[in-house]
Amino acid sequence: MRAADRLVARTVRHGGPWSAVLAAGVVGGAVVQLLLPYALGRALDVLVAGAAGASFWLTACAVLVAGVIVCETLGVWAGGASGARASARLRRGIVRHVLDAGPGLTRRFGDGDLVARAGMNAEEVGRAPDAIVTAAALLIPTVGGLVALALIDPWLPLALAAGLVLILLVLRGFLRETTQFAGDYQRVQGDIASRLTDALAGIRTIAAARTVPLEARRVLAPLPELRLHGMSLWRANARAGVRAGLVVPLLELVVLGVGGWRLAAGEMSVGELYAAARYVVLGAGLSAALGQVGQIARARSAAGRVSELLAVPAPRAGTRALPPGSGTLEFRDVAAPGLSGVSCTIPGGSVTAVVGRSGSGKSLLAALAGRLVDPERGTVLLDGVPLHTLDRADLRRAVGYAFERPVLIGRTLTDAVALGVPHGAGDGAAVREAARLACVDGFVRRLPDGYATVLEDAPMSGGERQRLGLARAVAQGERLLVLDDATSSLDTVTEQQVGKALTTDLRGRTRLITAHRLTTAARADLVLWLDDGRLRAAAPHADLWRDPDYRAVFRAEEAS
Amino acid sequence: MTAPSGAGAATRVRRVVWEAVVARPSVTARLMAWSVVEAAPAFLIGLAIARAVDDGFAAGRVDVGAAWLGALACVWVVAAIGARQVVLAVAALVEPFRDRLLERVAGTVLRDAAAAGRGPGASAVARATLQVELARDALAAVITVVRSFAFTLVSVLLGLAVLDPRMLMLVVPPFLAGLVLFLLSLPALARRQRAYLLADERTASTTGTIAGGLRDIVACGAEDRVAADARAHIDAQEAAGRGLARVTAVRTLALSLGAWVPVVLILAAAPWLTGHGATAAMIIGALAYLTQSLVPAFNGFVEGLGVSAVRLAVSLTRLLESGPTAHDARPADAPAAPEAAAVTVRGVRFAYGEFAAPVIDGLDLDVPSGDHLAVVGPSGIGKSTLAALIAGVLVPDAGEVLVGGVPAARADAATRVLIPQEAYVFRGTVRENLEYLGGGTDAAILAAADAVGASALVERLGGLDAAVDGSVLSAGERQLVALVRAYLAPADLVVLDEATCHLDPAAEARAEAAFAARGGTLVVIAHRVSSALRARRVLLMDGTDVRLGTHADLVATAPLYADLVGHWNPLARGHERVR
Repeated sequence: MRAADRLVARTVRHGGPWSAVLAAGVVGGAVVQLLLPYALGRALDVLVAGAAGASFWLTACAVLVAGVIVCETLGVWAGGASGARASARLRRGIVRHVLDAGPGLTRRFGDGDLVARAGMNAEEVGRAPDAIVTAAALLIPTVGGLVALALIDPWLPLALAAGLVLILLVLRGFLRETTQFAGDYQRVQGDIASRLTDALAGIRTIAAARTVPLEARRVLAPLPELRLHGMSLWRANARAGVRAGLVVPLLELVVLGVGGWRLAAGEMSVGELYAAARYVVLGAGLSAALGQVGQIARARSAAGRVSELLAVPAPRAGTRALPPGSGTLEFRDVAAPGLSGVSCTIPGGSVTAVVGRSGSGKSLLAALAGRLVDPERGTVLLDGVPLHTLDRADLRRAVGYAFERPVLIGRTLTDAVALGVPHGAGDGAAVREAARLACVDGFVRRLPDGYATVLEDAPMSGGERQRLGLARAVAQGERLLVLDDATSSLDTVTEQQVGKALTTDLRGRTRLITAHRLTTAARADLVLWLDDGRLRAAAPHADLWRDPDYRAVFRAEEAS
Repeated sequence: MTAPSGAGAATRVRRVVWEAVVARPSVTARLMAWSVVEAAPAFLIGLAIARAVDDGFAAGRVDVGAAWLGALACVWVVAAIGARQVVLAVAALVEPFRDRLLERVAGTVLRDAAAAGRGPGASAVARATLQVELARDALAAVITVVRSFAFTLVSVLLGLAVLDPRMLMLVVPPFLAGLVLFLLSLPALARRQRAYLLADERTASTTGTIAGGLRDIVACGAEDRVAADARAHIDAQEAAGRGLARVTAVRTLALSLGAWVPVVLILAAAPWLTGHGATAAMIIGALAYLTQSLVPAFNGFVEGLGVSAVRLAVSLTRLLESGPTAHDARPADAPAAPEAAAVTVRGVRFAYGEFAAPVIDGLDLDVPSGDHLAVVGPSGIGKSTLAALIAGVLVPDAGEVLVGGVPAARADAATRVLIPQEAYVFRGTVRENLEYLGGGTDAAILAAADAVGASALVERLGGLDAAVDGSVLSAGERQLVALVRAYLAPADLVVLDEATCHLDPAAEARAEAAFAARGGTLVVIAHRVSSALRARRVLLMDGTDVRLGTHADLVATAPLYADLVGHWNPLARGHERVR
C-alpha cells in the first residue's frame, strides 16, 4: 500500500496552489464554525442585558459570520479547481504510461480491468485531496463540539457519544440490509440487460419474424421483480433515515432539557444554552466525517490499483534509423513465454505462412516479428537491425499488422484505415488503394457516406471488419506485413480474392501470415511449422506435405 | 452520442418529468399530506424552545419547560413517521417512472435495431440501463429536496410570524436576496454542470477506447496521435471542472449570504427587539428556525437543483433523443397471404443510403415454388441484402420483390422464414426456443431436431423442457437450434442466410439435405461453395455480373465459379498451386 499512499500524496501535491487555498479555507472555516456558537451566545447575553462589550461581541459575530462565508466559498472553489487539476494530471500520466507500456498491459490486466483502472479508479484517486480535506474539516468541529460541550457540562458529551453510537449502529444495519437488497436489484437489472443484449444479437431473426412487441415483453418480463426489490431498498432507506434522523433532534432536546434545568437553577445563561444546543449539532457531524473516512479508504485502494498499472515498465524504443532493405526478417534464437529457441530467416519480399495447431505459438511469433512484445532471450532483426534498437516511428512505418479481431479507431472509416499512416501522408487516394487491395473498397462505397461514414454508423460483419483491419495494415507497413489470422472470418469466395491480392498485388513487401487454412500455406513461398512452441520445420509447403504429422495439423484445424 | 441541446429536447424532458410527477394524483396528494407532517418540527422548533425557556426554565417552572420540550420531541417522532411515508411516496412516483423509461428504452432499441438490421453492442445497452438508473435517482432527489424546501420555508415563516412578526422583516429580505442570487446563477450552474458531465463521459470513453484498442494503437504506431486526442479531452474536462468550481463558489456565496446575514441582523436588532417585548429566548427560537430548519433545507435545495436536476436533464435527454423519430420502413398495409412460395424479383435496386453506391442494381430473378437455389459470391456483394429483400425485412428502392404474387414486405410473416448467420437463442426452455416460429407435438419437434441433426444437442441440454441460455452454447449449437425452429415453422419459403456457417461441413450437408427434403422453396446464401453443389440452381453474384444456372452450366460458362469450385476442394488442387 505504500506505493498507493505515495500516489495519493503526489495527487494532493499536484493540486497546485489550489490545494493550499483549499486547506486554509477548510481548516479556517472549521475553526470559525466552532467559535461562532460561543460568540453568538455571549453576544446574545450581553445585548439582551444591555451590558458593556455589546458592540465588541456583535462585531466579533459579524466577523466570524463573514469568515464562515469566505471560507466556505473559497473551500468549494479551491476543492473543485484542485480536484480538476489533480485528476487531469493523473489521467494524462496514466494515458501516456498505458500507451508506452503497450499490449503487454492487456496481457496482465485484461481489457475490462484496464478500463476500470485507467478510468474509474483514476477518478477515485483524483477525489482524494477533497476527501482528505473534507474529513479533516468535519473532524475539527466534531471534536471541538465535544470539547466545548464538556466545558459547558461534563455530562453533555456523554449523552452525545451515546447518540453517535446509536447512529453508527443504525447505519451499519442499513449497510448490511441494503447490500442484500441492492444485490438482488442489480441481479434483476442485469437479467433485463442480458435479455436485451440477447435479443439484439438475434435482431435479424426478430425482424424477419416480426416479433418485436413479443421480444419487448420478454425483455421486460422481470420488471415486476425489479420493482419489488426496488421498493425493498426504498423501505430500508426510509427506516434507516427515520432512525438516524431522529437521533440528533432528540439529543438536542436532551441537552436543552439538561441545560434548561441548569438555567432554572441560575447556573447557565440563555446564550450558553443556545451554544450548547449548537455544539450538539456540530458534534453529531461525526457520522458524516466517518463517511469521508470511507471515501479516503476507497481512494487509497483505487490508488493501489492505479499504481500497479504504473509499475509495469514501458519498453524503451531505440534511436537507430532503418537502412534501405527488402524487408528481410530474422529470428536469432528467440525465446518468449510459449516459444523457445526459434531461429530462422524470412527472405525479403516473400510470402511466409506460419502454421501449427492452436496454442503452438503462432500469434506470439507474429507479435515478436514487429515488436508488439519483446522476447525474453534472443533478437529479432529487420534488414539486419535489431528491432529494440530501431526508432519507434521507423519501425511502425516499416511493419503493418492485421489481426483476427481488429479494433478500428478513429471517427470515420478513412481515419480508421489511415491510423497507421503519419499525419499528412495518408491522403484519400492511398486509403482507397489500401481498401481496394484488401477487397473492402466495394463495401465502403456502398455505405451511406462512403469513406466519410462515421465508424459507429457503419454496419459491419466480422469479415468486413477484418478486411478494414487488413486495409489499415496495407496502408501502413512499407516493408513487412504481419497478418495474424487476419482472414479467418471471410467466406470462401472472399478469402480467395483477398488471398490473391496478398500474393500478387503486394509484391515487394515481406508477408508473414499465420493461418488455419490449407490454401494459405499452399500459396506461400515458405512455411514455418510451429509445434508446441518450437519451430519444427521451415520449408515450402510441397516439401512438408509428405510428412503425415504436417498433414494432420490441417485436419485437426478443419475439424475444430 | 451527441450533446443534448435544443429547445425541443428540453420541452420533451420537462414533459416527461411532469407526467411522472402527476401520473398518480393519489400518490402526489399523499406525498403533500405527509410533507406537512414532516415539516411540523420546522414550524414548532423555535416556538417550543422560546416557550420552554420563557414560561418554563427561566420562570423557574421546570415542568412547563420539560412539557414544551416533550411536545417538541413528540412532534419530531411524528415527523419521522411522516418522513418515512414521504420516502415511500417518492418511491411510488419514481419506480413507475423507471419502469416506463426501461419500457421505452427496450422498445426503442429493439424497433430501431429491427429497422436497421443490426443492434447496438452490449456496452450501449449497459450505458442505457445506467442512464435509466441515474434518471431515477436524480428524479427522486429533485422531488425530495424541492418539496422539502418549499414546505420548510412556509413552516419557518409561519413559525417566525407566530413568534414575533417583526423578525420576518429581518429574515425575509436577506434570505430572498440569497435565493434570487442563487436562482440567477442557476442557468450558468446548470450549463457548467452539464458541460462537466459530458466532458467526463468523453474522457471515460476515450480511456476505454485506448484500453480496448491498445494492441492496435501500438501496432499502428499511433500512440502520439491517440495520446494527443486523449489529452485534448482531459484538458477540456479539467477546464470544465474549473468552470464548474467557479460557479459552484458563486452558488455557495449566495447560499451563505441568504442563510447567515439574517442571523447577524437578528442579533444586531436584539436590543431593539427586547425593548419591544421580545425575550432572549425568543431570539434563540428565531436562531433555531434559521440554523436548524431553513439552512439545511436551503442547502439541500441548492444541491438538488444545481446537481440532481442537471443530472436528470442530461440522462433524460440521452434516453429520449433516440425517441420516436425512428420510422418503420414497412408499409402499413394489412398483411396478405401469398398464393404459393414462388419468388419473383423484378428490376430491384437497393442502397443503404441516399448517396451510397447501390448494393443491388437492376436484379431480375425467378425462383419457382419448390425450387432449391444457392446464392454464391464474395462477401459484401449483396447476398444478405437479397435474403432480407426476399424475406420482406428490407423494401427495395426501385422494382419489386413478390412472394406468391404479394409484395414481400406485405406477405404474412408466417409464410416465410429467414434464418441469419447469427442464430437467436433466448433464455427460456428448449421447447420455447424451438417453437418460436410455430409449434408442433413433441414427436414433431423431436423429428425436426432429428432431421437437421440436432437430436444430440436437445438430449445434451436435457430434453424439451430444460432451460437453455444462448450464451453458454457454441455458435454452431445456436445455429442448430435456429435450424430446428425454421424446419418446424409453417413457412413455405425458407431463406438460410449463411445459417450453417458455424457447423462442420458434414453437419452442414445434413441440415441442407433436410431442408431440401422438407418441401417448399429453399434459398441458401452459401458460406461454403459446397452448398452450391447440393442446390438445384445457383445464383452467382459478382458485382454487376449476376448469373443464374445449374452447377454444370456455371462451371462451363463462369470462370469465377469454376475457379471457386476447384478451390473449394483444396486437398485435390492445392498441391500443384505451390509452384
